[in-house]
Amino acid sequence: MDLLPLTALLILLLFALLGSGIWIAFGLAMIGFVAMAVKVAAPPGAVLSTSFWSASNAWDLTALPMFIWMGEILFRTRLAEDLFHGLAPWLARLPGRLLHVNVLGCAIFAAVSGSSAATCATIGRISLPELYKRKYDERMAIGTLAGSATLGLLIPPSIILIVYGAATDQSIARLFIAGVVPGLMLALLFMGFVAAWALLNQSRMPPPEPATTLRERIAASGRVVPVVLLILGVIGSIYAGLASATEAAVVGVALALLLSWITGSLTRENFSNALLGATVTSCMIAFILAGAAFLTVAMGFTGIPRALAEWIGTLGLSQWQLLFALTLLFIVLGCFLDGISMVVLTTSVIMPLVERAGFDLIWFGIYLVLVVEMAQITPPVGFNLFVLQGLTGRSIFAIGRYAFPLFLIMCLAVVLIVAFPGLALWLPSTMLDQR
Amino acid sequence: MMRAILDRFYALTLYLAAACLVLIGVLVGAQVIGRIADTLLKLFGYPPYGFLVASLAEIGGYLLAAGSFLALAATLKRGAHIRVTVVLGIASARVRRWLELWVLAAGTTFVAYVSYSLIALVYDSYRFKEISYGLIPVPLAIPQAAMAAGAIALLIALVDELAATWRTGRPSFRTGEDSALGTREG
Repeated sequence: MDLLPLTALLILLLFALLGSGIWIAFGLAMIGFVAMAVKVAAPPGAVLSTSFWSASNAWDLTALPMFIWMGEILFRTRLAEDLFHGLAPWLARLPGRLLHVNVLGCAIFAAVSGSSAATCATIGRISLPELYKRKYDERMAIGTLAGSATLGLLIPPSIILIVYGAATDQSIARLFIAGVVPGLMLALLFMGFVAAWALLNQSRMPPPEPATTLRERIAASGRVVPVVLLILGVIGSIYAGLASATEAAVVGVALALLLSWITGSLTRENFSNALLGATVTSCMIAFILAGAAFLTVAMGFTGIPRALAEWIGTLGLSQWQLLFALTLLFIVLGCFLDGISMVVLTTSVIMPLVERAGFDLIWFGIYLVLVVEMAQITPPVGFNLFVLQGLTGRSIFAIGRYAFPLFLIMCLAVVLIVAFPGLALWLPSTMLDQR
Repeated sequence: MMRAILDRFYALTLYLAAACLVLIGVLVGAQVIGRIADTLLKLFGYPPYGFLVASLAEIGGYLLAAGSFLALAATLKRGAHIRVTVVLGIASARVRRWLELWVLAAGTTFVAYVSYSLIALVYDSYRFKEISYGLIPVPLAIPQAAMAAGAIALLIALVDELAATWRTGRPSFRTGEDSALGTREG
């Protein structure tokens, strides 16, 4: 079969399989199987088992269950309450007041959790009722939460960066550090938006909070200190080259258990729920990676990615034009696929193209995560929307509309890191240990 | 009776998988403590002890592979394998039943093939006595057998769900899948 009809067939089949409700991991491997059966003489079974094996027994990937476990433990502590009450008095004076708690709370929780939906659920559980109680604009409360929670993906630790690093053989430590500055930049942009909105819509803001003294504020934020120490311990040790990503994750698990023990939420039930939850989530992701690894090998056999890269090469697009086209493609894909599937499909099919176009693979990882963040809040498929639907009872389309301004801000952030790649690449270049 | 046996079996595979992850944590933790101890020793002018968890990188990888695959069945039963549910969500109950049956039948077929391929992989590793290169030689057949066992457990769970969906019209993991998801994805 020629490449063009084969490609069309595989794309159609992918949509049919995933659309009919086949699990993502199964669907990816099935496409790989069909591609091999049609095009290649090698036995698919042997290739399937060896690619499952080599994708699953990867040392770098052990960071994945550990970071998920750490997040699961902290999800079951009082961390979110403490964050809200610690941050609120400091932010009550800014224009936009407690709406900023959504942004900053998410940014801080993102630094201990690798997941955007978990960030959304943890912060939302606490901040939404508090914001409702104080009569904040509901659209803004929900929208800023949906948008800010996507920081869970960009600010390290990040599950999706581990997935990208494992699939492309990039250093997870460097990817993590590369995400720091763009993540903080995005948080600042969100806060700028909240402030600007509040100044323009003063009639829709609730009355200000009662004033607090400096002493009260300091007392309230005391409970945030352990979290900050945890973040510094985990990210700092990676940055300083003291620990690999996995080691930092295990230290994070130990510190999270300690924190949970000190605050009294470390019950037998919480411990076992967190551990089993982490086992199940990391199994789900590891199986997707296995399926994607087989798809990557099968694709390599068919020659489609290489042909695609050469064809794009003949078009003579500039990097800007190429990225513009890719971003559009990802936004459309992101409406229907979750982030992990988008990343593994990208790495299976368009990595040769990306390398040929001369992008730095660390930088491309950050760009990809930013685009995937947008996918988290585009209906009909976006995990933050699902979480918020569960929390608020609003439809995912309504929530997607509330979050649309933040979607636009993320587009702006994409433009910024394309224009200034140093935003992503400067911090990792200063790392002591260039692993 | 059969139900209880199967549910215990899924729980057992999940506990084994969780044990693999805990073991990774313990081994890596021991390595970190060892390194800290060495740093402290050096700081006070003693010779470092050189504590090392032998072949940690390889064994960690094997434990991860075993853990990931052993949890497959329980992950299915909890509705935590992600999929696109847009079409399923708008389909009528009757259409949805057939779609679910198709998904489960296709999944069963595919996982049967995966199990078979993994068993063949284990058999080859066993036959050619493939061993890891590290300080501690580990026969590759051991972690690979754990993977194959996990795939077979998944196969059993899929058949179980197929039967349940045929009888009741909905897979038992729907409940888990539909409940508010806090910590599911990346």
